[in-house]
Amino acid sequence: MTTAVAPPLLEDTELGPKAGGFYRHQNIFTGLGFGIGLGFIGWLVSHALLQGSNWGSDMVVTCTMFAWVIGFNIGMGTFNAPIRWMLGHDQTHEDELYAAGVGQGASRYLKFCTDHKVVGTQYLVLVMVLFGVGGTLAMMIRTQLITPHSSFLDPQTYNSIVTIHGMVMIIATIIMVSGPFANFIMPIMIGAKDMAFPRLNAMSFWVVVSAVPCLLATFFLGGVNAGWTTYAPLSVQAPPAMDTFALTIITFVVSVTVAGINTIVTVVTMRAKGMTMGRLPIFTWGTVVGSALGLYAMPAFLLVMTMMITDRATGTSFFVPQIGGSQWLYENIFWIMGHPEVYVILLPGVAAVLEITSTFARKPMFAYKVAIAGFVAIGVLAIMVWAHHMFTTGWAPNLAAPFMLTTELISIPTGIIFLCVIGTLWKGSIWTRLPMYFVYLFLWNFIIGGVTGIYLSDVPADQYFHGDMFVTAHFHYTLLGGAMIGATAAVCYWFPKMTGRMLNERIGKVAFWVIAAGIQITYFGQFWEGFQGMARRVAYYDPKFLDANVMSTVGAYILMSGWILFLYMMLHAWRNGAKAPANPWHAKTLEWKVPTPVPLENFLVDPVVTSDPYTYGEGVPDGQEVPDFAPSEEPELVPAGSTGPGDPGESGEVR
Amino acid sequence: MSFEDEVDAIEADTILGGEPFFSRAGGKIFIIWLVFTVIGVLIGFYAPHHLLPTLLSPEGGDVWATIVFFTVLAAPVAAFVYALAFYSLIAWRHKGNQDEPPPDAAPQRGNGPMTVLWLGVSTLLVVVLLFWGITVWSAQQISHPNTLQVNVTGQQWIWSYSYPGTGVSTHTLDLPLNRPVQFNVTSEDVTHGFWPAALGVQVDANPGVVTVIRSTPNKLGNFTVQCSQLCGLYHAFMNTKAAVVTPQQFASWLQSQGATPSAANTEAGTTPTAGTTTAMASS
Repeated sequence: MTTAVAPPLLEDTELGPKAGGFYRHQNIFTGLGFGIGLGFIGWLVSHALLQGSNWGSDMVVTCTMFAWVIGFNIGMGTFNAPIRWMLGHDQTHEDELYAAGVGQGASRYLKFCTDHKVVGTQYLVLVMVLFGVGGTLAMMIRTQLITPHSSFLDPQTYNSIVTIHGMVMIIATIIMVSGPFANFIMPIMIGAKDMAFPRLNAMSFWVVVSAVPCLLATFFLGGVNAGWTTYAPLSVQAPPAMDTFALTIITFVVSVTVAGINTIVTVVTMRAKGMTMGRLPIFTWGTVVGSALGLYAMPAFLLVMTMMITDRATGTSFFVPQIGGSQWLYENIFWIMGHPEVYVILLPGVAAVLEITSTFARKPMFAYKVAIAGFVAIGVLAIMVWAHHMFTTGWAPNLAAPFMLTTELISIPTGIIFLCVIGTLWKGSIWTRLPMYFVYLFLWNFIIGGVTGIYLSDVPADQYFHGDMFVTAHFHYTLLGGAMIGATAAVCYWFPKMTGRMLNERIGKVAFWVIAAGIQITYFGQFWEGFQGMARRVAYYDPKFLDANVMSTVGAYILMSGWILFLYMMLHAWRNGAKAPANPWHAKTLEWKVPTPVPLENFLVDPVVTSDPYTYGEGVPDGQEVPDFAPSEEPELVPAGSTGPGDPGESGEVR
Repeated sequence: MSFEDEVDAIEADTILGGEPFFSRAGGKIFIIWLVFTVIGVLIGFYAPHHLLPTLLSPEGGDVWATIVFFTVLAAPVAAFVYALAFYSLIAWRHKGNQDEPPPDAAPQRGNGPMTVLWLGVSTLLVVVLLFWGITVWSAQQISHPNTLQVNVTGQQWIWSYSYPGTGVSTHTLDLPLNRPVQFNVTSEDVTHGFWPAALGVQVDANPGVVTVIRSTPNKLGNFTVQCSQLCGLYHAFMNTKAAVVTPQQFASWLQSQGATPSAANTEAGTTPTAGTTTAMASS
């Protein structure tokens, strides 16, 4: 909120020449330098000691990549503060201001920066890069499949591309909402000055950055030929690329776990005065339930990949049946992670859709508490459905019925989400701006994804469809058509707040129609392939599947054009877009009540919350406001971060 | 006016001869709903009829019936969501200046009866789906007398079949018509997926264990056995020709493959010997 006398902004603080200590000299380039350097030392040492012994190359690759991850994070400054504490020094206030990016201009985006808004923007760029990589790989897959016996890719390369496309997209979709928006938007939404653990927040970003080169390095280490699920024992026999693949996941899980704990603690402890759990914007609920589910799921991924590395590099036999292990053990632990994980992806995106629907229907959210109950029910049921991925593996056929039950039960809370969106739209004043377009596309796609899911939840039908392209089309409809389109709506919605620019909606609407058409053509083609009985992950296929594959590939090119146009719109707006007002959508949540660009620590005056943000049409003042203190009343107004007269208390207090 | 009042008013108008039904909200929603339902049901019939391969067993018929039945159940529900969403867009879209938000709509924070109805209907549907699934699945689990045993072994990247008691071991699969068959599936190396798509059954071939599926081919025809789990370099080529033939053709085919004359595979075959068996294999 503007005041007559602008109070000094925290980011204008003059810092001493030594503020920040090591942080002054660290950025992504020192990170790369230390990472490559330590990686090289790791390779040198492990090569000298281990090469030639049993599983030597696996151990060397693991050590090298582990050294890269540690080195990169040393170079970035991830460990600065803990090491200083261990040496008996604390960070001074100036050091912390420096780490939050004060006085560094745009270069703070390339540094270890604790400001949650910088981290959110960094995540947004990373997600776009990852979608670029994953999308390129997807186009290579579809190009290979345009003819039955293409010579575009050899089978080993093809299998590696299928694997890495899957894993890049899984990483990208897990962080696509919980990275940019749960970091940038959510703390402002709840009236917090930052995340609860700003350093862990920056750490979660730079750790996942250090994982990405590991994943892409697989192409140069023989390729992972086992699909993103990397089922044992095939993956145990895979080239050394599999070691870096496993290490990527271990690194990624560290990042997601840290970020998830941070999100939950922030929401539990950092809410503004009056922001009870029942007044939280629904998006916050989605990120909290998604993060909590991630805390349950992701450690299983870390576990299974650690066991994978020990199987490969030290000769244990968790997953090698020939020497006493069990591939079903792998599959169970994998899917104990794997199914909750799709809801980790989905819930924040769905919650963003609900938030946007209320704003653009100019109507309170329909059945807010029922939606929360739905989220929680999805979260609970999601941990009990994993074995539907194993209906045809032969493991425990007697458990088919219970898992059919839990799987089909999850459609009840999922149906609640549709009820809430529809109920909010019903008799609303529907403002068809770009985010609303994507809400409708979300509804369209997610219904198709959900309905095709019920065939797969039924064991007799799954015995036909399991492992064929029908499954591929189904989960692309839910994860791309549902979750990712929800995230796209979120991008369109929060872009003005994050960048201070308005998107060009004329380009955006063209991109929307191209994307919408591309999704339908691509994945209806794959449903067709699936009905005909084409297996997944094949580099070559019977000519009888040709027509369906051509349809899918043509659709994929259309879809790609749509995303490129969308990307162009984003980048163009980011540089040249019209300046965005603070609240272009006239929304009622707190992030729209602070100026754009959002000042460091967000609130010059602490917000006061008296109701939930959905008071559209109720004829009452907004219940979530940042008080506008007249300078005559509050001449001594001081920057946020210290307790002033208008400050209701310590911001970290649990309420 | 709450949601039900509105619906009641619409219905009252229709019944009491207000405006014609189809110019009312309920009528328009009904039309949109009907269009989407018909499209959905048509797809639900067209796809299994024309896109599935020729199904050669009752288990394949179960797949067919499940697709049709679930589509008939799901299409109206999905169409209902579409109808409400698109009707809202048609009826209440803000048509003026898009730069400024439209005036707020009348607030409605929930509708208890509607929510209960929604939950009730979805629960009922789930119960029906579950009942269908369990009934069909348990019927498939019954083992029949005089079952033909076929041991299936996957290895990178070929399927091998052996008929216990006959000494026949081949890379093509022939099955006699109308005789229950039990596949005892295992793998030499990595996990494969044994998928005779036309029989409507599928199970993974795991190294070290034997998994079991059953089917009763009831139509003559050729089909393909594919691998449905990515199993390495030539996964795409791991498929073999298979056929359902008459019992006479099957007997002579066995002979041609070098069956020992005292072919004992006319009674319930020998139990598999390799590795452990799953619970299903105990019959």
